[in-house]
Amino acid sequence: MNVMLGSGIIALVNSIKDAQKTPPLAKDISLKLPYAIALTINFGVAPFLFLQVLYGHFIYVSSVLMAIYWLSIVGLLILLYYSAYIYDFKFDVLKGTKIFFIAITVILALIIAFLFTNNMTLMLVPARWTTYFHNPSGTILNLTEPTLWPRYLHFVTASIAVGGLFVAFIWSRKKDHPQAKQNINQGLQWFTYATIAQILIGFWFLLSLPQHIMLKFMGGSTLYTGIFFLALGAAILTLTFGFKRKILPAIVSTLLTITLMVLIRSFVRTSYLKPYFSMNALKVTFQYSPLIVFLIALSLGLVIIVYMLKIARQTKKEV
Amino acid sequence: MNYPVWELTTLGGGFLIALISVIHVYIAHFAVGGGLFLVLTERKAYAENSSAMLEYTKKHAKFFLLLTMVAGGVTGVGIWFIISLLSPAGTSILIHNFVFAWATEWVFFLAEIVALFIYFYTFNRLDKEKHLLIGWLYFAFAWLSLFVINGVIDFMLAPGNWLHTHNFWDGFFNPLFWPSLFFRTFIAFILASLFGLVTATFLKDSTARQKMVRYCVKWLPIPFLLMLVCAYWYFNSIPDAPREIVLNVSPELARYLNWFLYLTPIVFLVALFLAIKLPGSVQRVVSLALLLIGLMYMGSFEFIREGARRPFVIYDVLYSNSILKANAEEINKKGLIKTAKWIKYKQITPENELVVGQKIFQLLCASCHSIGGPLNDILPLTKKFNSVFGMDSQLNGLGKINNYMPLFFGTPKERWALAKYIVEGLHGGEDKQLAQKPKELPYEIPPYDQEKDEYVLLAWNNLGMHCISDSDPYWILLPPANDLYAQLIRRGELPEIVTEGVELRYQVQAGFENPSKHVRFWEFSKSLLGKELPPNIGVSGNGLSGTMKLEEDLGAFVADLVPVVPYPDDGSFNPYPLFTIEAVDKKTGEVLATTRIVAPTSTEMGCKNCHGGKWRVAGVAGFTAETALDILKVHDRINKTNLFEKAKKGQPMLCQSCHPDPVLGTKGKPGIPNFPAAIHGWHANYLTDRGTEACFNCHPSSPTGPTQCLRGVHKQVGLDCTSCHGYLEDHALSLLLHEQKQGKKVDKLMRYLKPRKVATVEEINPRLPWLNEPDCLNCHQDFQKPASKNVSGFNTWTKDAKELYRLRTDQVGLMCESCHGSTHANYPAQNVFGRNRDNIPPLQYQGTNLPIGANKNCKLCHTIDMEDMEDEAHHENMLRNFRNMQLISTGK
Repeated sequence: MNVMLGSGIIALVNSIKDAQKTPPLAKDISLKLPYAIALTINFGVAPFLFLQVLYGHFIYVSSVLMAIYWLSIVGLLILLYYSAYIYDFKFDVLKGTKIFFIAITVILALIIAFLFTNNMTLMLVPARWTTYFHNPSGTILNLTEPTLWPRYLHFVTASIAVGGLFVAFIWSRKKDHPQAKQNINQGLQWFTYATIAQILIGFWFLLSLPQHIMLKFMGGSTLYTGIFFLALGAAILTLTFGFKRKILPAIVSTLLTITLMVLIRSFVRTSYLKPYFSMNALKVTFQYSPLIVFLIALSLGLVIIVYMLKIARQTKKEV
Repeated sequence: MNYPVWELTTLGGGFLIALISVIHVYIAHFAVGGGLFLVLTERKAYAENSSAMLEYTKKHAKFFLLLTMVAGGVTGVGIWFIISLLSPAGTSILIHNFVFAWATEWVFFLAEIVALFIYFYTFNRLDKEKHLLIGWLYFAFAWLSLFVINGVIDFMLAPGNWLHTHNFWDGFFNPLFWPSLFFRTFIAFILASLFGLVTATFLKDSTARQKMVRYCVKWLPIPFLLMLVCAYWYFNSIPDAPREIVLNVSPELARYLNWFLYLTPIVFLVALFLAIKLPGSVQRVVSLALLLIGLMYMGSFEFIREGARRPFVIYDVLYSNSILKANAEEINKKGLIKTAKWIKYKQITPENELVVGQKIFQLLCASCHSIGGPLNDILPLTKKFNSVFGMDSQLNGLGKINNYMPLFFGTPKERWALAKYIVEGLHGGEDKQLAQKPKELPYEIPPYDQEKDEYVLLAWNNLGMHCISDSDPYWILLPPANDLYAQLIRRGELPEIVTEGVELRYQVQAGFENPSKHVRFWEFSKSLLGKELPPNIGVSGNGLSGTMKLEEDLGAFVADLVPVVPYPDDGSFNPYPLFTIEAVDKKTGEVLATTRIVAPTSTEMGCKNCHGGKWRVAGVAGFTAETALDILKVHDRINKTNLFEKAKKGQPMLCQSCHPDPVLGTKGKPGIPNFPAAIHGWHANYLTDRGTEACFNCHPSSPTGPTQCLRGVHKQVGLDCTSCHGYLEDHALSLLLHEQKQGKKVDKLMRYLKPRKVATVEEINPRLPWLNEPDCLNCHQDFQKPASKNVSGFNTWTKDAKELYRLRTDQVGLMCESCHGSTHANYPAQNVFGRNRDNIPPLQYQGTNLPIGANKNCKLCHTIDMEDMEDEAHHENMLRNFRNMQLISTGK
C-alpha cells in the first residue's frame, strides 16, 4: 500500500513538474503501479480476514455506521485501478492528459486511505457509536476523533517515505541508466524529508491519543514504552541510513520500524478496546486439520510462486 | 440482533448484494474458464503455427487481465464489504467457521495474480512451453479458488452433517459440494466461450474474426451439455425442503427458475447463430447481447440458489433476517426490541409505536424487502392491507404454512407496531369508508288473542348467524339461502301439533322480493352450482314467498334455502329481513294463525380486512371484485389452481365443489380437506392468540359491527363465541384433526397451531363440521343452570345431525328452536336493528321476549292453568321461573 500510494504521489508530482516530457521516473512507476495495486488488494485481504475473525463485532458495527462511505471504497478502488492501467498502457500516447489519470489514482487512494482511517478509528470508540441512533443511514464519519488527522497523515507520510525509498531502490538497480543517479537522489529526498516530517507527525499522533493510552507509552507500561522507544530508535536509524544513502540498510531498518509500529498499533487498539473486549473472551474451537491444509497450501503456493517468478526472469525481447 | 442495521429503502432488500455478487460471479467464473481458454487457444495457435490466432490470444489475454483482475478482483472484495454491512451476523459465522478456507483461498488468489501478470507480461517473450506452463498454473489456481469458495457457498444452502458435528470438513464437503463444483466449472467454460466471442467479433481482420468466432462457438456445446447434466445432478442433490421451496412454494423463485429454463436454449441458439458468416457490426452486437443474456442466465441461477435457502441465509442456523434459529424462542419471550442491541426504544408507547415499527421493519424485513426499490418491494406486496389488523394478521401467519419467509419474531405488541408502520407509515393509513350505522327499524307484531285464538304458530329461522358471500362473479362459499321453520299448535288441554289439513305460507317483507336486483348470483348459478336457476329462486326451488313443506320427521313445516339477501331496494344494508308466516286451512282457506320472524342473512364477511378492497354496499358489507379476486390469487398461488383465470373468464366456482361440506352436501374432490377445516385451518395460523376478534373479523358477530349477529341470551349473560366453540385455534384443530384422521394432508396447517382450551392437540376431539357441534347440554347438564361461569361448551360434540339444537325436538315433538329461538339468537335476544326484532313470536304470544312458555306460562298452549303440574313433559327443569329476568322486555 505504501509503495502504491507513495510512488503514485511521486509520479504525480514528477508529471506535474514536467508535464510535457515523459520523465522516465514516472514512466517506470506507471509500469509498476498495477502490480502494486494488485498486491495491495491481495495483501489487504488477509489482514481484513483476520480483523473480522478477531474484531468482527467492532469492525462490523463501525462499518455499518459509515456504510455508504465504506461501500464506496469498492467503486473508488475499481476507478483507481482502471485509471492506473490507463496511465500505464497509454503512458506514451497520452502526453499531457495522462496527469489526469495518475491524479485520479492518487486522489482516490488518498480518499480511500481517509475512509480506512475513519473506520479503523471508529471501531475503537464504541462510546461514539450511539450517533447511530440519530443517523442510521450509514453516513457517519469519525470526524470528531482527535487522532483522525494525525493518524491519517502518519500513514500518508509513511507512504511517501516508503514510496521514495522504493524509487531509490528501483533506480539503484538500473545504475547504467543516465538518469539513475538523479532519480535515486530524488527518491531518497522524498524518503528522508517524509521521514523527518513523520517523526513530528508521529508525536502529534501520540499526543492526540487519549491520555491514559498516551501515558502508557511514556513510562506507564514498560512494554509499551520499551517498544515505543525501540521504534523511535529504528526510525532515527532509518533516517540516518537515508542521509547516508545506504539504500539496503535503510530498507531493512524501515521494515524493522514498520514491524515495531504494527506492534504499537496493536497496543493502541488493545488499550482502546480494553473496557469492552479482551482477546481471551473469544470462544475458540480447536480443529487443526483446516490450519494444516492451509499451511500446506501456503507452502506449495509460495514454492510455485517463486518458481513462476524464476521463469519470468527468463524473458527475452519480444519475438 | 447484535449489529446495527444500515437503514436502506430503495436499495434495500439485498439489492446491493445482488448487484455486486452477480457481476462478481459472472467475471469470476470467466476468470476460471477463460484461463483454460487462453492456454488451449495459445497451444492451438502454436500447433497450427497461426500468428493470427496467437495475436488474438494476446489481445484476449489483455482484456482478460483488465476485466478479471480489476473488476473481478475488486468486486470479490466488494462482496465481503457488502455482506458484512448487510448481514454481519451471517458473515461472522462464515468467517469464523471457515477462516482457514478463506486463508487458503487467499493463497490461491495471490498465486493467481502472480501467474496472470507473468502470463500477460511475458507473452511472446518466453519459451512457448514455459509460457504455456504459466497459463496452466494460472488456470489451476483459479480453479482451486473456485474449489474453496464453492464449498462455503453451498454450505449455506446445505450444511449437511455440519449441523450436528460442527466439523469444518462436514460443512465444506457438504451434500452439494461436488455437483456444484462441476456445474460451476462447466459454467466457467461456457463463459469462456461467450467472452471469447466478444473479443473475437471485435477483431478487425474479417478472416481472422470469422475463424476465431467459429473457434469460440465450437467451445460451447460440450461444456453446455455437461453443465445441463450437472444442473440436473445439482438440483437433485438439494435437500428436499429447500428443493420444495424452489419448485412449489416461492412464487419469486418460480420466476427465476423459468428464466433459467427459457434462457437455456436461447444462450445456445444465439451462440450458434454467431457461427454464421455475418458482417462484423452484426456479430459485435449479437456477441454483446449474448454476453448480457449470459449474465441473466447466470444471475437467474444464483438467485435460485440464494432463494432456495429461504427462510434461512445459513440453512437451519440463521434466518434471512440474521436471527439465529437458536435465539428465536428467547426473542418471542423477551421481545424483539428488548433483545436487539441497536434499538434504543425498550418499550412501545402510543407515541413511539410508529418509530419502533420502522425499526422492526429494518431489523426483520429490510434484509429481503426494499421500500420502493427493485428487489422484493414491500409496497406492492402490502398494498392490499388497508387495516392494521389485516397486516398484523398477515405477519402473524408469516412463514407458517408457506415457509419461504421466516416467522415473525417478537411479541404481539411489536408485531402490531410493525403492521402499523407498514399500513400507516408506508401506505398512508387505514382506508376508512363512510359506514351506515345500524338503526332501529319498525316492525309490526301480528295480533294474538289469548282468549279467542285457537292456534299458536311458532316459527323461526334455522341459521341464526348466517353469512352469504355475494362475490358471485368470482366464487361463492354460500349461496343466498336461509331456512324457515314453523310448527303449528292447536291449543287445548292437550295441545296438538298440526301437520295435516293446513298449508303454511311465507312472504318476505316489502323491498326484499327481488334479490337478483342486488346480487349477481343468478347470472352465474350455472357455473357456481351446475344448474341454471330462474331469478329470485333459490337452490331448492323456493322463492321469496311460497308454501312451506312438511318435514314429517320433525313435525315441522320448512321452506329451505330461501334466497334472501340483506339488501332492500332502498340501497341500504339490512341483515334482518322479516318473513310473515301464515297457517291456512287447506279446505276453507281461512287464515288460522300468523306470525313474523327474521331470517338473518349478512354479507358482513370480513375477507377485505386482510385481502384488500372495500365494502361494496353502504360502507358495511358485501364483496368488491378486489377482495374476491385477491382471495383467488392467493388460493391459486398456494394451491396451484387457476381459479382467478376461470373467474375472469366468467366461470366462478363454489368453494365446496372441491372442498366437501356437509351443510351443502357436496362431496368435493378426494384428498381435499372439507371446507370448514380448510378455511378455519388456514386462517387460524394468521389469527393466533386472539379472542373473539379472530371470529368477528370474518363472521358478522362483531359487537360493534353492522350486523352484530351474536344476539341471543348467551350474549346477554356475557358469553361469547369462544364459550361454545373454543378459540379459533381449538376450533380449527378440532376440524383439522378429523380430516387428518381421514388421511388428508393437513399437517402443514396444523404444525404451528397450539390448542388453548386444552393442553395438547391429542386432547381435542375431532369433529365433522355442521354435524358435530357443541351440545347445549354440555353446560346445561340435565337442563340445569350451568355449574359455573367457567364451564365450556367446547370439545364435546353432538353425535350427528339429530342431536343438533337446530334439529332436535323435545319429548313431545316440539322443536327446541320453536320455543327458544334460533341458534345465536335464543330468546330473549337483543337485535341492533331494534331490540326485539328477533323476539316477535314470544312478544306476540306472551307479551314478553322470554322463551315460549317461560315462567310456567303453560296456558299459552294448554289453555288450562297448569301451575301445579308436576310432569315436565317437554324437558326436565322446565317448570320454574326464568333465571335472567333482568333481560325481560315487553316490547313497549
